[in-house]
Amino acid sequence: MRRLLLAFIFGGFVIAAAADAWFFGAERHGEFWWSQVYGFFSLCGFIGCLAIIVFAKFVLGSRLQRKENYYHQRTSP
Amino acid sequence: MSHLSPAVVFLFGALLLPFLPRRARSLAFLLFPLLAFVSVSQFEEGMSATQRFLNFDLVPLRVDRLSLAFGYVFILIAFLGGVYSYHLKDTGQQVAALVYAGSSLGVLFAGDFFTLFVYWEIMAVASVYLIFARCTERSREAGFRYLLVHLFGGSALLAGILWQYVETGSILFDRSEGGAAAYLILLGFSINAAIPPLHAWLADSYPEGTVTGSVFLSAFTTKTAVYVLARGFAGWEILMIAGTVMAFYGVVFAFLENDIRRVLAYHIVSQVGYMVAGIGIGTDIAINGSTAHAFAHILYKGLLFMGAGAILYSTGKSKMSELGGLARPLPWVLLLYMVGALSISAFPLFSGFVSKSLVVHAAELNHNTVVVLLLNVASVGTFLSIGLKVPYFTWFGPERSVKTQPVPWNMYAAMILAGGINLAIGIYPEPLYRVMPFPVAYPPYTAAHLLETLQLLAFTGLAFWLVIDKIHAEPTVTLDFDWFYRRPAPVLFRLTVVSLDRLFTAAELITLNLAHRLAQACANPIEFASRFLSQSGDRGDRDIGGDKVLYDPNRYRPPVGFIILVVLSCFVFLLAWNLFLA
Repeated sequence: MRRLLLAFIFGGFVIAAAADAWFFGAERHGEFWWSQVYGFFSLCGFIGCLAIIVFAKFVLGSRLQRKENYYHQRTSP
Repeated sequence: MSHLSPAVVFLFGALLLPFLPRRARSLAFLLFPLLAFVSVSQFEEGMSATQRFLNFDLVPLRVDRLSLAFGYVFILIAFLGGVYSYHLKDTGQQVAALVYAGSSLGVLFAGDFFTLFVYWEIMAVASVYLIFARCTERSREAGFRYLLVHLFGGSALLAGILWQYVETGSILFDRSEGGAAAYLILLGFSINAAIPPLHAWLADSYPEGTVTGSVFLSAFTTKTAVYVLARGFAGWEILMIAGTVMAFYGVVFAFLENDIRRVLAYHIVSQVGYMVAGIGIGTDIAINGSTAHAFAHILYKGLLFMGAGAILYSTGKSKMSELGGLARPLPWVLLLYMVGALSISAFPLFSGFVSKSLVVHAAELNHNTVVVLLLNVASVGTFLSIGLKVPYFTWFGPERSVKTQPVPWNMYAAMILAGGINLAIGIYPEPLYRVMPFPVAYPPYTAAHLLETLQLLAFTGLAFWLVIDKIHAEPTVTLDFDWFYRRPAPVLFRLTVVSLDRLFTAAELITLNLAHRLAQACANPIEFASRFLSQSGDRGDRDIGGDKVLYDPNRYRPPVGFIILVVLSCFVFLLAWNLFLA
């Protein structure tokens, strides 16, 4: 299942890049560096999503997440 | 009626509502947004009204395209909120909602700082009632924290206003050019706009509001702040940076949250970030973008809070770790929630697509590479939490036996209306663009924009699917900047209240004991002195609340007589001295 999904994602990248190339051709000129990268936004979505999950869960979560009653276990005056 | 501020219509409605028959109140509630709409639709650009008060020329009404754009959507959400809460039989909440909406409109149309400040404070007080009205321990605590933070913000705003008045002699609310007064005013506005690190009140309090109250809360406070920032601080670069940070900050923290309404609250921070970034850019198209995004955001965020509220109403729960498998009992709520989710995720054909892209386009035109990239990546996080994680764990995901009760028809009606408007804006954005502050000539549906957005969202979905088994809804709380005032609160309470209380008690005891001894000493100095000298004081006297009789005329007669004898002797002596010796 996972292999199939990975194959699907890889195929998706190829299709996205091809779609960019087909729509914009070799003449695509934008003012940003990513304008030259076909399929950039698919990479951006994929890597951005994984980066947010990893950063939120493993970098911030491990430091900032507490039990649900954290503010109520010892704080009552 | 043409010069009547819509704020007055709502405030009059709030006064009138309690005197109407109970059954008619929900229907009458809907009448006031309609009347306010009639009032606003008669406004003309550039119209204003002045009022002399003490030594000030107040401007309670000033109309321009910016205030009109916000005014229309405020009235719209007040109406939709009224439909959503039609089943409610709580006059307090209905009155608070009317006052809240009215005071927000008062801020929009205020032309001077004093009028703005008064409405600003009314807004804080009215809104906190919608949190208190949930009547839980947590809502009470969150409400007090909300109130304290907003009173602090209001104080900063007032200090800035007074400073400006002393410096310039003007109380008119126009674009600020800088200086200490402007920074104080900016601080007051930034608290309401929930700019980190001043944002924690939002994620702390909005999820604790009532089912219907949170719909109103999600619309007014932050968006009035966006409006005042757009009017007073457009083009301040610090806001562009702050907005970009907000957009990112909100999505990251939202991902960690378990309560659906807290996820939505963090996404208010994120979405307001786009608006604040647009204001920071400050060009005409950027202000259009911020205004359009605020317009769309009020509608889709209202819809999302309605969806989350419907779940809370139906199941009594709002935490993803306690929900799951609701697709069968609540399919229509899922469908309508997804309209809001796709709108906030800027899916083509939904409202967010035509509003968010205006802000990003303004950043592109301004050549802000980092801002453009980060705002695009932030929208990935939006879709991840709102469009994928929340629906998966609430309606699908692990099946939990959650009991549901039917959702009232009016809740569905409000969601259908809000969803319909979101779709209408997404499909045909011209009417939205027509009410923007500046002319809009931006076609959102270009091949490039569609390709970019579809790639971004499709691959976000694929990445989520790839790691879905690693993601869990956990019953945790995430520490945020509110930790800095919530955690030390008990220590501060002990220091400032308990310790002081003990100090006052001790001082009171010492004073009373001293007074008691003094009374004894004055009553019978000889006995007191003899007791003091022989160190055989009556231990029982320490008990000031005891039954001991303090005054006995026979007992005190000799010493009093002795004192009179001494005084008379002195008098006789002095008299004799004067008569015979002087």
